[in-house]
Amino acid sequence: MCSAVTDLSLLDIPRLLGFQFFQYALLGGVIAAFACAWVGLFLILRKEAMLGDGVAHTSFGGIALGLLLGISPILVALVVSILAVIGIHIMRTKGLARSDSAIAVMLATGFSAGLIIISLAGGFSVELFSYLFGSILTIDMSDLVIVTVLGLVTLGFLGVFYKEMLSITFDEGAAKLSGIPVETLAISFDVLVATTIVLSIKVVGIVLVVALLVLPGLSALQLNLSFKGTAAAAVCFGTVSMVLGIILSAVYDVATSGVIVFMAAGIFGVVAVYKRLG
Amino acid sequence: MTSAVVQPDVVSVRGQTDAARRPVLEARNVNVSRSNALVIEDASFTIYQGDYVGIVGPNGGGKTTLLMALLGVLPRDSGEVRLFGEPLERFRDWHLVAYVSQDAISFDADFPLSVRELVALGMANRGNLTRRLTGADWRVVDDMLGEVGMADLANDRIGHLSGGQKQRMFVAKALVRDPKILFLDEPVAGVDAVTQEKFYKMLNDLNIARGITICTVSHDLAAVFCRMSKVMCVNRLVNVSDVRDIDEPGEFLKKAYGEHFHFVFHRHECGGVFGSDRPVAP
Repeated sequence: MCSAVTDLSLLDIPRLLGFQFFQYALLGGVIAAFACAWVGLFLILRKEAMLGDGVAHTSFGGIALGLLLGISPILVALVVSILAVIGIHIMRTKGLARSDSAIAVMLATGFSAGLIIISLAGGFSVELFSYLFGSILTIDMSDLVIVTVLGLVTLGFLGVFYKEMLSITFDEGAAKLSGIPVETLAISFDVLVATTIVLSIKVVGIVLVVALLVLPGLSALQLNLSFKGTAAAAVCFGTVSMVLGIILSAVYDVATSGVIVFMAAGIFGVVAVYKRLG
Repeated sequence: MTSAVVQPDVVSVRGQTDAARRPVLEARNVNVSRSNALVIEDASFTIYQGDYVGIVGPNGGGKTTLLMALLGVLPRDSGEVRLFGEPLERFRDWHLVAYVSQDAISFDADFPLSVRELVALGMANRGNLTRRLTGADWRVVDDMLGEVGMADLANDRIGHLSGGQKQRMFVAKALVRDPKILFLDEPVAGVDAVTQEKFYKMLNDLNIARGITICTVSHDLAAVFCRMSKVMCVNRLVNVSDVRDIDEPGEFLKKAYGEHFHFVFHRHECGGVFGSDRPVAP
């Protein structure tokens, strides 16, 4: 599919936008960027950024299982990721392991399960690599539907429970005293993290998904804005990285996920330097 | 700081006798233990609508434990607590109760919230889950910020405030959903004497203007006797008295702090506002 757009220059961008696969990629990418920026900001403020990385790697087991069984790898990964966050939550609350150790245990277990399944299936396939490193330019209508539904679920939850999520993120103890169901919201948010990660796997892949979660929020936090301002800046940074990343990678025929994350890292660098010098 | 507007219909609440007012908090024979040690023993008292109560006592005497038990956060060994006449176990109107914790002001200074956004978080409670804040809610937030003298800091980041401003912000957050009783645990720890005095004066104004019952843990004994209407001594045993009934504050405080405690206090140091900022109603 990508061969149709090789030997392009920046002047060919309007022509590129006419391709259906490119429109799908931009739409899916922007939805993922929105969801990742919102969830990622809460994740950073809850000091749980590594949960994103842990769940992403655990989902590898689900992708491998889906490919082996011939069922949608994304949906199997969704189930495995949700089970992983529930497992991490149980380990933490039952005192079996601290947060970072619980994440490490789940990450290693999920990833090793994936390796076993792959070896049983006869080794790595090209398709498996596309989940590890992303392949947004190959998403089809069914992928786009999944990304849209998961994105709407994520943004809908944060829209409905906005003030409660902000309350428990700022001061869990005070939120509990106000009668807010802190435990239920915390586990729901973790499930949301799993959902967001799975919807982003097609976009940037398992290995780099944590960057899409963390970098926009981290860049926005440099600006010392209100919460609404910070969230808006995070969404802006995430979307700009995504759109520029997809376009530039298509024009110059380089790995899309790499360019998207490199853009996000570049924005972080520019904002951080600007704030320090300004 | 903007002084609260005094509303004539509630001014008289604090001046009335206990018998004429509604009990808002009742404790009967309450015992509370922590780590198998009895921390509060046989506490029995009643706090009435409009009381401004200073909770005093030595460190480790059980002040925070008592507050936590009254709020139902810590379990009691025995005894009964009633909020607004309802046993604590059956009490559901938590929007009537507000609490500012000891360490509220030690938040992450980099947390991206404006003063206005933080105060609005006070609206969130079990009774309005999923409800979005309306224009009317935001007007209440802005009015409350004006009442605690922080209207001009509404859009500042919370991390940029001074210690005194942070305390006033958290009081605004606690009051924004119009509670009828406010608990504060050492709200002025770590700020200078002038800021402390301003803070207790602000609570005094809110107590009179809104008729809200206030129970605050305090180590500033002069502020307790000058500004507040009742004093609660806590050192395992709990003793509550109207400050106007205490002839010798130093002697009274020995019940909590021990025989070697010396508190020299003269009513005239309060500038004529002993126990209240206004004359007691006949």
